[in-house]
Amino acid sequence: MGEQVYFEDVREGEEIPQLKKNCSTQQLVLWAAGSGDFYQIHYDKDFAQRTGLKGLIVHGALKNAFLGQLLHDWVGEQGQIRRFGCSYRGMDEPDQDILCRGIVTKKRSEDGRHYVELDVWTENPDGKKTSPGTAIVTLPSRA
Amino acid sequence: MPDTETKFEITDEMRAQYGVDSAPWTYEVTTTSVRMYARGIGSDDPIHYDVEFAKAQGFRSIVAPLGYIGTPVYLPGKNDPTFGFPRREGGPRLNIPFRGLLDGGTETEYFDYICAGDVLAETSHLADLKYRETGRPMLFVTNESVYTNVATGKVVVKQRLTSIHM
Amino acid sequence: MADQNYFEDVAVGQKLPPLTIAPDKQQLVKFAAGSGDFNPLHFDENFPMLKPMGLSENIVHGRFKYAQVGRAVFAFAGYKGRVQRFGVSYRGMDPLNKEITVNGVVTAKRQEGGEHIVELDVWTENADGQKTTPGTAVVVLPSRE
Repeated sequence: MGEQVYFEDVREGEEIPQLKKNCSTQQLVLWAAGSGDFYQIHYDKDFAQRTGLKGLIVHGALKNAFLGQLLHDWVGEQGQIRRFGCSYRGMDEPDQDILCRGIVTKKRSEDGRHYVELDVWTENPDGKKTSPGTAIVTLPSRA
Repeated sequence: MPDTETKFEITDEMRAQYGVDSAPWTYEVTTTSVRMYARGIGSDDPIHYDVEFAKAQGFRSIVAPLGYIGTPVYLPGKNDPTFGFPRREGGPRLNIPFRGLLDGGTETEYFDYICAGDVLAETSHLADLKYRETGRPMLFVTNESVYTNVATGKVVVKQRLTSIHM
Repeated sequence: MADQNYFEDVAVGQKLPPLTIAPDKQQLVKFAAGSGDFNPLHFDENFPMLKPMGLSENIVHGRFKYAQVGRAVFAFAGYKGRVQRFGVSYRGMDPLNKEITVNGVVTAKRQEGGEHIVELDVWTENADGQKTTPGTAVVVLPSRE
């Protein structure tokens, strides 16, 4: 974890530090264990192909969790994630980079709290946005 | 086959490790973990899932299926990421020259039921070494783990695990 | 759950009802989740250790088979009985999607310190009838007295 980021330090349009993920099949099984989602398309290749998929795919909810981790790392101990979400538009595969990114879209202060809105998404190695989403966080102020 | 050129034998130094206890590690038994283990073995006995049912049968809470003795507390860097077991201080130090490893056997002795809500402290020590040279040389290493219920101070389970190195 | 066994009702030589399971990959992944053993040997068909071990497919965790023996022994003891100990040796590997059967037989009955004790041989058998996981168990049963 780096230093605490403050509301005053953030600029609209700025990109937050990226988080790179790469899921082994073991990671997908760990996620099944942690989430309770044992759907076979995430670890049983025969099953995945019988449903029409090319091969194993990463759970959408896991990518959502990665975006949560991206935000958690950025807001620091004094920041708070208020809400975040994404759509699962494209599929990601195991043993392939998944890049989690975010850009600040808006800053506002309201009722004594300092809000930062962001676009967040996961990107595959071809640069395609596989899970586009948004987030609202609060950050501490130096004031 | 052993990696070393010299013939392997069990030394007095190795035998001196018998009974040397590792530092303790905490194992947790929760309703969630008992249910997941029961699902994992394909059991649908309500005694492992339904707390009210288990209490009506006279148990403290849902009962761990046989073979489940809680989940070791996992700390990144301290536990093996694939198998989950804790790497810790104390305990036997054996330099085993064989690369092959197979699970030899498991034996569990129960002094009480394990139920959700239990917190156990486990220590392990080397219990036995056997080297068999007939056919393919194999070293049988047996470790014994003792599990104590933290709340009552009583030993609840002893488990002996044998691994085969060759 | 089957009826409760009482000490007076069981006889040496009596067989336990067989327990059969043919674990698919999903079952082994659930077992990984429950047991904490995430060795890819049991769910990744591309795991590099398969070939050196002479395996063409993923195999069942040894502890999974131990737990199946545990289910059978637990059912024999019933809620009013108590399992004192059970142990097995892992003699053979079992691939997934194949039937594994747990069988058992009562080998001895005795009373000790006011407890009614029953000893069993228990084991798992593969679809060819080979004993892959032989073992024993000691169970305390309630008495009708």
